[in-house]
Amino acid sequence: MRILLTLLLVYIAYPAVAQQENDLGTEAQRAEGKEVYDIKCAHCHGYEGDASAVATPYLRPTPRDFTSGNYKFRSTASGELPTTEDIKRSIRLGMPYTSMPAWEGILSETEITNLAYYLKTFEPAFDGPYGNPTVVEIPRAPSYSADPDHLARGQEIFAANQCADCHGENGRGNGESAPELVDDWGDPIRAADMTKRWTFRAGATREDIYRTFMTGLNGTPMPSYEQTIDAEDRWALVDYVWSLSRDTPDYGTTVTVQGRSGELVLSEGLFEAAPEVYFPIVGQIIEPGRAFYPGVNGISVKAVYNNSEIAIQLQWHDMTAETDGMNNPLIEVPMFDPAQPDTTMDGWSDAVAILLPSRTPEGLERPYFMFGDSRFPMSIWYTDLATDSAAVLIGQGSGRIADNGIALERSASYEDGVWTVQFKGPRNQGELTMPEATFVPISFTIWDGFNGERGNKRGLSAWYHLYLEPMETQSSVLPMAKWFLIVLGAELLIVGLVNLRARRRKTA
Amino acid sequence: MNLFVLLAIAAAMVLVQFGVTRWVKLNLLAWMGIWWVALWAAFSYGINPPLPNSIIVLFMAIITIALVAYLSADNEELKQAQESIGRFMVTRQYRVALLIVMFLIPAAVAAWTFSSMNQAPQPPSSGRTIHPPPPSSITFQGTSINLTTANNPLRELQHTDEAAFAEHVASGRRIYFENCFYCHGDNMEGAGMFAHGYDPLPANFNDATTIAMLQESYLFWRIAKGAPGLPSESTPWSSAMPAWEDFLTEEEIWEVIIFLYEFTGFEPRAQGMPH
Ligand code: HEC
Ligand code: HEC
Ligand code: HEC
Repeated sequence: MRILLTLLLVYIAYPAVAQQENDLGTEAQRAEGKEVYDIKCAHCHGYEGDASAVATPYLRPTPRDFTSGNYKFRSTASGELPTTEDIKRSIRLGMPYTSMPAWEGILSETEITNLAYYLKTFEPAFDGPYGNPTVVEIPRAPSYSADPDHLARGQEIFAANQCADCHGENGRGNGESAPELVDDWGDPIRAADMTKRWTFRAGATREDIYRTFMTGLNGTPMPSYEQTIDAEDRWALVDYVWSLSRDTPDYGTTVTVQGRSGELVLSEGLFEAAPEVYFPIVGQIIEPGRAFYPGVNGISVKAVYNNSEIAIQLQWHDMTAETDGMNNPLIEVPMFDPAQPDTTMDGWSDAVAILLPSRTPEGLERPYFMFGDSRFPMSIWYTDLATDSAAVLIGQGSGRIADNGIALERSASYEDGVWTVQFKGPRNQGELTMPEATFVPISFTIWDGFNGERGNKRGLSAWYHLYLEPMETQSSVLPMAKWFLIVLGAELLIVGLVNLRARRRKTA
Repeated sequence: MNLFVLLAIAAAMVLVQFGVTRWVKLNLLAWMGIWWVALWAAFSYGINPPLPNSIIVLFMAIITIALVAYLSADNEELKQAQESIGRFMVTRQYRVALLIVMFLIPAAVAAWTFSSMNQAPQPPSSGRTIHPPPPSSITFQGTSINLTTANNPLRELQHTDEAAFAEHVASGRRIYFENCFYCHGDNMEGAGMFAHGYDPLPANFNDATTIAMLQESYLFWRIAKGAPGLPSESTPWSSAMPAWEDFLTEEEIWEVIIFLYEFTGFEPRAQGMPH
């Protein structure tokens, strides 16, 4: 009886005790954490946890400075420290679309726990009175509702709380104040593009989105709305944000180009029925002008053709349209240009290019994807969006790019965070032909002028394909009948001969 | 690999081999037919990404030849098989079955014609010569390097001057994080922050089939010449692997090679052994 009573007392008293004691792990756990940290984390986060190390200058966003105590992902209120479990989650899942890897599967659960305790040693506050913050309760998500009234309510909340100021009216990261945002370390930062939820740092489930605007992201301009948004409106806001994006990027590999009879007149309607494919864009990080954080991370492509021409439409999200100034693939840029310029870099316009091989490739041969090479040059459909013209350039490598004098037809428009650029050119250009039913290699390059991208500082893609779908598909009825009859004839012959022989043998 | 399908096929074949044959004496021809179908199913549905049709046809042709050779190796069995086919074609009792078979074979051929004509077009597959043979010598920044005899000049420091060796490793680390980890990953598993943008994926150095089985001179060639330096008969042509001779010195390349081995814990393959 007495034992039971003591147990009961301990049980009641326990939460109070836990409140006071900070979860800092044991000496041994922290020491083991340090061992792993120095091998796996220090080259980005610094041996002293202060984000100064070999790799740090080449990374945007900058690896977290653990001495700041600022953690983006937290289950705790705005401005507070994270819990041990929060830190462990960040280590486990990483931060998508940054250099912070997901360590789940590489490190054991014990190692991750030890690491979390070691990270806490970099910030003395973890050992102080604020070291054990309370967790903001996240209720279980009700199931998603696409009810128009519900989503409209969400959109109202989105508008009423100025989410659009940073994230843009339709959530494309193109809000009015977006270009001026900086984080607590002075680096420019971009408001998340809500139409690409796979890029969310702190997770992309509906509970994650709820938690993100309830707790805010420390160290960034993303505030907490715990006090401002009523409980009954929160899931409407979550579902509205959720409705803006598909689940996954769904990266494709081939653009199916549809045939059209008659002239191709560049317009919105021309591409209406054509299938759309989305490709990843990554930074050029090889040659001088390395782009560690390209302004654009994906491009959507559609294309159609007729008997002599091909028209290609490119669309991508861009926070601002730079239509002043100039750009050119030949502009020289230092190897390590500032990773992201501090203010709007006046003078560089947005630009885009479609890259094709300069001749029809044999088999799998390709020009080197950067700007081609002397062995196999590239044909570059280039347009500077400060102008209204486009031309074909021939590339034999960076710095070896020449205009070959062929003009292309082009149209371009920018609306609510989306660039739409359409090109039209001949299907046969010099040694490059694009016959029906063939695969033509294609890749893309985007220069975000706002991000100081110019020359070789750019976002680029690897090689993908265009496939020109035949205008008339051959009926398979005749070949099927032909093969049926041929095989049947052969069978009849064999069976006939065997029977004949058997009958002869019988009569003999 | 589509393990589920492969396991199902393997289980079915075990059943045929050890179960069914115990109750029913399987005709040799039927046994061969079952094997043929099982292998065809394994090639067609058991492998991911799917093999191109032409490869499957090639494999099946080889298997058919092998089965026929197996059959004809034994005169007695060959004769038996011939006789049973002959009997099937002439005996009145089998007439209906014969007609059905005579209809099904051309129908299958017609169906195959239909499916091959209505297949979604396949982009040229980026086949990959895993480790194409290197040239015997290369010109590196103007000087000629003989790849068959070249050794990593820093390797001997490992035993003679540990401090100097550690310095080169540190330098290799700096070079790796300045140039390589965006693609090959900070953990060298080929999953850098930009790896999702490339096909083929950047090499995974933790995998026992990459640097663990290569000589240092081979790595020197791949790093110095990159994808543009691959011999003209070898893929992958779409590889993004840069030619680092434009940006790194000879010593820097040897240093980064040392770092690759230090970080992964592998030993390079000794000089003189074939690739
Ligand atoms: C290749 C560089 C790199 C390596 C290696 C790396 N990180 Fe990070 N890490 C980053 C970057 C960049 C960020 C910041 C991402 C952002 O702000 O969006 C980050 C952020 C974090 C955060 C903060 C999450 C938050 O909520 O703010 C934690 C915790 C973290 N890293 C732990 C680790 C640990 C532990 C390791 C080693 C096991 C490690 N990292 C290895 C680059 C790296
Ligand atoms: C002052 C500008 C600002 C306002 C206002 C703002 N945000 Fe943000 N938000 C940001 C920034 C900047 C980021 C990107 C943080 C990062 O990349 O680490 C962000 C990120 C996000 C993310 C993605 C989080 C992640 O895990 O990467 C969501 C979801 C989000 N905001 C929702 C909202 C909602 C909902 C509102 C309105 C209720 C809102 N934001 C208002 C600046 C803002
Ligand atoms: C733009 C991305 C990229 C960068 C940057 C890069 N690589 Fe690669 N690397 C690749 C790809 C893709 C492959 C696989 C295809 C191939 O073999 O060409 C590869 C293959 C290799 C191989 C061949 C491995 C094998 O098993 O044959 C070596 C060695 C290598 N890289 C070393 C390096 C080093 C060292 C650096 C930095 C100096 C580096 N790479 C930078 C993309 C990259």
